[in-house]
Amino acid sequence: MNKTEFLDALRKALSGLPNDEVDQRLEFYSEMIDDRIEDGLSECEAVSDIGSIDEIVDQITADIPLGRLVKERIKTKKKLSGWNLTLIILGFPVWLPILAAAFAVMLSLYVCIWAIDISLWAVFVSLAGTSLGSVLLSVVCFVQGNIPTALAMSGTALVCVGLAVFSFFGCKAATKGVIALTKKMALVIKRLFVRKGDNNG
Amino acid sequence: MDIQLKRGVLDVCVLAAIKDEPSYGYKIIKDLKPYIELSESTLYTILKRLEGAGALTVTTAEHGGRLRKYYNITDTGIRRIEDFKAEWSELMSIYRFVAKEDKDE
Repeated sequence: MNKTEFLDALRKALSGLPNDEVDQRLEFYSEMIDDRIEDGLSECEAVSDIGSIDEIVDQITADIPLGRLVKERIKTKKKLSGWNLTLIILGFPVWLPILAAAFAVMLSLYVCIWAIDISLWAVFVSLAGTSLGSVLLSVVCFVQGNIPTALAMSGTALVCVGLAVFSFFGCKAATKGVIALTKKMALVIKRLFVRKGDNNG
Repeated sequence: MDIQLKRGVLDVCVLAAIKDEPSYGYKIIKDLKPYIELSESTLYTILKRLEGAGALTVTTAEHGGRLRKYYNITDTGIRRIEDFKAEWSELMSIYRFVAKEDKDE
């Protein structure tokens, strides 16, 4: 890929972003490629040295706040022809409920994921609580002279402590996973706004 | 590394690269390469952030028949490096304390 092809492809991939932002980014990358060529690299080497377009787009998308991306999309929508606008207005009773439903489904799925995570933590808390209670109870039974119950309670306490330690690591990993998933989802949603621009560009 | 800490360190690295004389994007990446690997996109974000904070200014000059952007450090930028150095010595004494605890264990 030569410099012109690279910059054209990048412009196309970034077409959902604000125009001035795209121009500035392209100017920056163009200068970077020129400086590499001046440094002795061939044009193709210089371009491949910069990295893949997908990587660049992902990083730029992660940098720009979602609000700005949405605003840019709405601004682009203003350029719609009268016919399209009429269709959108007439289709309003159809597309709004569908959009709202899709949003509600997405949201509920997301809430479910967190609910699973919270219930895992609840298991951990109950195990920890049970082991604590069992320890106390075994002490009380021991003092009262009820040795068999005291032994059974300390056994329960040991089992619960073991399970609690196990479940703690599981819960921690699950929470980390959900947070990573949230970040990934945010990037996917943002990318939706950037990549859709391909159709306009 | 903690994201906030890393961001601060990267900002100061870029400022240090333009401290002695104005520099341009590719040279900054090359100068920092032995110490830290910066991608173009990361550098762009850092430069924008520093420009917004008034730590550097951008000038355009002609070079070999094309325009090239040069980044100049401002007084705010120099102060940022000085602050970093002061904070770092504080952080180093905390580090020595923490590392000593490790040895004692």
